[in-house]
Amino acid sequence: MRMADRYISLAHGNGGSCMRELIETVFARHLSNPLLDVQADAAALPPMEGVIMITTDGFTVQPLEFPGGTIGSLAVHGTVNDLAVSGALPCYLTLNAFIEEGFDMAQLERIIASLASAAREANVCVVAGDTKVLPRGQGGGLYLAATGVGVRPKNLELGLPRVQPGDSILVSGPVGDHGIAVMLAREQFGLSGELLSDAASVLPLTQALVPLPGLRFMRDPTRGGLATVLHEICRATGLEARLNGAVIPVREQVATVCEMLGYDPFYLACEGRVVAVVESTQASEALARLQALPQGCEAAIIGNMKHGRPHVVLETELGGERILDELEDDPLPRIC
Amino acid sequence: MTLTAPEWLKKIHALRLDRPIRIMNVCGGHERSITMAGIRSALPKYVELIAGPGCPVCVCPEEDVYQAIQLALRADVILVAFGDMLRVPVNVPKKKVRSLERAKAAGADVRPIASPREAVRIAQQNPERQVVFFAAGFETTTAPIAAMLLEGVPENLFVLLSARRTWPAVAMLLDSDTPGFDGLVAPGHVSTVMGPEEWNFVFEKHDIPAAVAGFQPVSLLAAMYSVLRQLLEGKRFLDNCYPELVRSGGNRAAQAQLAEALNDTDANWRGIGVIPSSGFSLQKRFAKNDARLRFPDFDTEGRKRAGQMPPGCECASVVLGKINPNQCKIYGRACTPKTPVGPCMVSDEGACRIWWAAGVRANAASDEKATADNMPLPSTG
Repeated sequence: MRMADRYISLAHGNGGSCMRELIETVFARHLSNPLLDVQADAAALPPMEGVIMITTDGFTVQPLEFPGGTIGSLAVHGTVNDLAVSGALPCYLTLNAFIEEGFDMAQLERIIASLASAAREANVCVVAGDTKVLPRGQGGGLYLAATGVGVRPKNLELGLPRVQPGDSILVSGPVGDHGIAVMLAREQFGLSGELLSDAASVLPLTQALVPLPGLRFMRDPTRGGLATVLHEICRATGLEARLNGAVIPVREQVATVCEMLGYDPFYLACEGRVVAVVESTQASEALARLQALPQGCEAAIIGNMKHGRPHVVLETELGGERILDELEDDPLPRIC
Repeated sequence: MTLTAPEWLKKIHALRLDRPIRIMNVCGGHERSITMAGIRSALPKYVELIAGPGCPVCVCPEEDVYQAIQLALRADVILVAFGDMLRVPVNVPKKKVRSLERAKAAGADVRPIASPREAVRIAQQNPERQVVFFAAGFETTTAPIAAMLLEGVPENLFVLLSARRTWPAVAMLLDSDTPGFDGLVAPGHVSTVMGPEEWNFVFEKHDIPAAVAGFQPVSLLAAMYSVLRQLLEGKRFLDNCYPELVRSGGNRAAQAQLAEALNDTDANWRGIGVIPSSGFSLQKRFAKNDARLRFPDFDTEGRKRAGQMPPGCECASVVLGKINPNQCKIYGRACTPKTPVGPCMVSDEGACRIWWAAGVRANAASDEKATADNMPLPSTG
């Protein structure tokens, strides 16, 4: 790359030599694989066994780099995880990058390198991509969009209609790390800290659970967090989700920041956790399988589904209870 | 001997009082802990916990919020405010900007902050803009604002102060014919700053038991136990159930800062009215940083219901513990967390929001029998 190209300019999106160089030296260099052909307009994929699953997601996180990840690794994890919790094995990704004029080339390199490394770890290939450059002021530095393709075994049935009263609810690790890590990285509210985001591929976790015939449903609790996933389950099934507040894993640091700003950790985003609903007789087996993985060592059975009003009810350590209501708005820090 | 929260709870359940007891707290932090720990549903049925005038968002006068919105809409102004002020609605015709959040959506530069330090930082980073700090809150929030002023603030920072003292509202309630509560859990943070003695009048003058509590369930339950036991045994005093932080006399340095930077002033409480010496204003030497002097009053004479509660809204009665939230005609109907009409549905310290979050959806306004002692609780099965 030419020394002058330390920042993205509009020329990097004009279809000419600058754009070719950008694609070859940044994107293709990090993401190269036999199926990615920068000369072709479409990628040809080999035939796949099973049910083909497809998902798409956009990524606009700020800051673009945060403790435990970047917007690049997040794009891979977010897309891979949507496939993984559907019971699929992720295979391919496509990638769109919307880059703002003036963006630092070195930072772009770092982000694409972290994206490539996350893709390698999750065993997925980026098979098609596109870049666009937006005039200065029209983007948040860098936005990514990704589409993921995976395969699910034909005989695997997962989904909300399978959830029954009596089923157990599991979570694969502490909730809210990603939400708080990103907030601390913004250095808003005069707070800072060293908490790492939980962003990761959840594929090892989901693949450990998929063989269990009692597995009903899985979801990654991203925006809106644990409470929002449980709401979706309650709304779809008409059942109550009853949680034991004392056993839901929350890191001390997350709890402290929540206490200070009036947030509720159960509504904060995770990017590397799984919420699973499992038939109760297989709950301890499911827990053992999660806990056997490094990513799942803090997994817990946190409650169960039961007849009742379609509410998420948290039993507190005092034996009281509170309803985790549907999120109405973006949470705001409170006065005191 | 130090008891745990479940042990205090057990002791409360062992007390035998033969009548409904209403215990009021006047602190948003208390209310939040009570809700988060599920204390309401864990207490004996005869004890009702009331959220009194302790939510700064709920008592902030409508005209101040209106003025903050008008300032926010100016292109040369950055408006910073504590987060939960952003959604408080004011009385304006449809299609006009009715909250700071709507102003933000319409392009105004409104930024939520969590401490005065951030207001200073934003002013320093934007020397070409006028930064208005809309500062609502009680003594604990106000003391850092006084400190900020005394440390010296940038020329382009203007404070729209809407600060209140906690005890005058409780005194006003107790002076009324229907105080609406039998015992008081006095605020921990406020007592840390101002000293617990501020609350002596509750038992001395009004024969109402009181206990200062901290923010952990264990301290709150200890204070509730103290209040109930005082009622049972006919004793009256101010108990300190937050001795780790609350000391006799309070934080004299913070009190000195308050006195040095601010004056006492009569202040309007939303829906309640003016309470003597219940507010703060900037002292003359900070006039150049006083948003009230810098910017003309925006409250145009003709504005309908200026300074009043929205039509149908009974937040004032709720704040004073006179009615339960769901006894307001618009609770859960026109007024929900998604479409709040009154301030009590906005803040998560507001009584209406708290009841909603606890799962109460039914409106009891038409049911005359709905009384304070049968607060509906979330179903247990």
